[in-house]
Amino acid sequence: MRKYWVDGTFILPAFVVFTVFLVIPVLSSFYYSLTDWNGLNPETHFVGLSNYFKLLTDQDVWNAIKNTFLIAICLTVGKNVLGLTLALGLQGTGRIHRILRVWYLIPVMLSALAIGYIWAYMYSPSDGVINTLLGMLHLDGLARDWLGQSDLAIYSIIFVSIWHFVGFTMIIYVAGLQSVPSEVYEAAYIDGAGRWSMFKNVTFPLIAPSFTVNMIVNMIVGIKIFDTIFVMTNGGPGTSTENLSILLYRQAFSFDRMGYASAIAVVMFMTILILSIVQITLLRKREVEY
Amino acid sequence: MDLYNRNSLLTRFILALWAIVVLIPILIVVFVAVKAPSELAQGPLSMPASLEWANFAAAWNQGAMSSSLMNSIAIAGTSVITIILLSSAAAYPLSRRKKKWATVTYLYFLSGMMIPFQMTMIPLYKLLGQLNLIGKYPGPIFIYIALGLPFSIFLYTAFFKSIPQEIEESALIDGCGPYRTFWSILFPLLKPVTSTLLIMNTLTIWNDFFVPLLFLQSKQARTIPLSIYSFTGEFVNQWNLIFAAVIIGSLPLILLFLVLQKQFIQGMASGAVKG
Repeated sequence: MRKYWVDGTFILPAFVVFTVFLVIPVLSSFYYSLTDWNGLNPETHFVGLSNYFKLLTDQDVWNAIKNTFLIAICLTVGKNVLGLTLALGLQGTGRIHRILRVWYLIPVMLSALAIGYIWAYMYSPSDGVINTLLGMLHLDGLARDWLGQSDLAIYSIIFVSIWHFVGFTMIIYVAGLQSVPSEVYEAAYIDGAGRWSMFKNVTFPLIAPSFTVNMIVNMIVGIKIFDTIFVMTNGGPGTSTENLSILLYRQAFSFDRMGYASAIAVVMFMTILILSIVQITLLRKREVEY
Repeated sequence: MDLYNRNSLLTRFILALWAIVVLIPILIVVFVAVKAPSELAQGPLSMPASLEWANFAAAWNQGAMSSSLMNSIAIAGTSVITIILLSSAAAYPLSRRKKKWATVTYLYFLSGMMIPFQMTMIPLYKLLGQLNLIGKYPGPIFIYIALGLPFSIFLYTAFFKSIPQEIEESALIDGCGPYRTFWSILFPLLKPVTSTLLIMNTLTIWNDFFVPLLFLQSKQARTIPLSIYSFTGEFVNQWNLIFAAVIIGSLPLILLFLVLQKQFIQGMASGAVKG
């Protein structure tokens, strides 16, 4: 009995803060999504599922869902491919390997806000760095209004987010690669495995836990992404870079539609929950022990 | 082993290219921050003719950065220390008890990793308003602690499992109570994960823009990111001031990272990928 009491004192403080400031607000969101609360007026009405029905026919919502998925997929694929490539290249113990590992992590230390400003400057159409560089290389034909063109802006933002956080993905792969005992490689090498076959049959299966973490974390980050878009385009031009996060913020704080915004939040949460469960189930299956 | 060091030409090319892609924007920030305003018109790639340190002084004063620096330090410091204490304590019984309630509690905490902050922002806005905590320290601190706990508990629990239970048993025989065992014997052993979490949580909280945007709008209460954000509205994109402010606001974190980077990478290896 005493043991439970002791365990309780260890867990309780974390449990209380977590419940009051995270879990209860989430549950209240479910409730608010069933009301017409506008955030200002204390009087609210229970409106059942009508916010959700309205969601179904709202073009902005479908556009935001489309953009959310596009961003999340491109980010997850981009960061994993580049992050794994960098990690594989940096397995050595040499000085240059150690320097580059830290070098690639520096953008991770910067805030999304700072990154947003830096890249807004890089991308600016007339005096921006990228277009100036292209001009110097006599590639003026490739110069674009990177954030002002509605078909291009979303990819410009995706690139910035990859630039920002690929170091984090890389370092998790570096950690995973370090935990693979070198005898495994030696054995495969002696067996005559080539570079590609070594990667496909030995390295990749053994770093499956890092792969799982990176897939799930990057997907969740990709769905939630807010600051970078808010600073760089605020959803524009038009609604071409508006994702669920930006739409939710706008509905809640520009249009004072808290009930409707809560319904969008619930949709976002469900999306993350379902995709996480699917990913965990699929990815855990291919993890191997050694 | 030598196998690692033999990168193909393509890999070397990618490594070098990405190093440059990381370098250029950072170099540009530094260049612009030390350029005189008149020099900005000469194109972004021109070298600064002279070093205009006055930009930093102007950014510091106009952004009221001394107070936002203090706010950031107070909020991030309190939140991170509390996260580390609460999550390591909670992870201890959760990793040791092979009972159903322990698994359920562990999953309860873990589910927090999937919750987007946006999901909680509207109710929290109401809650903090009712508690009269808008524009004050405790609101954001509690929010950051709650948001930081899941991943921290996840890493600590994974790491605890690699610490042999015999250590606690011998401490018990020597007469240590559970609290002393935890604090004097186990907590010091957690150092690799603690440094990783110290960096990661500081990073997230220091750089966060969303929570201050909602809850710390006033000039006295705002943190570094809001200070930087204020330059766009009030001073219509004065790039050299913005970038000077970006450097001032990022430098503490980059220094912290450079000091702790070895532990950060080791901590990742020992915790993040074994859960």
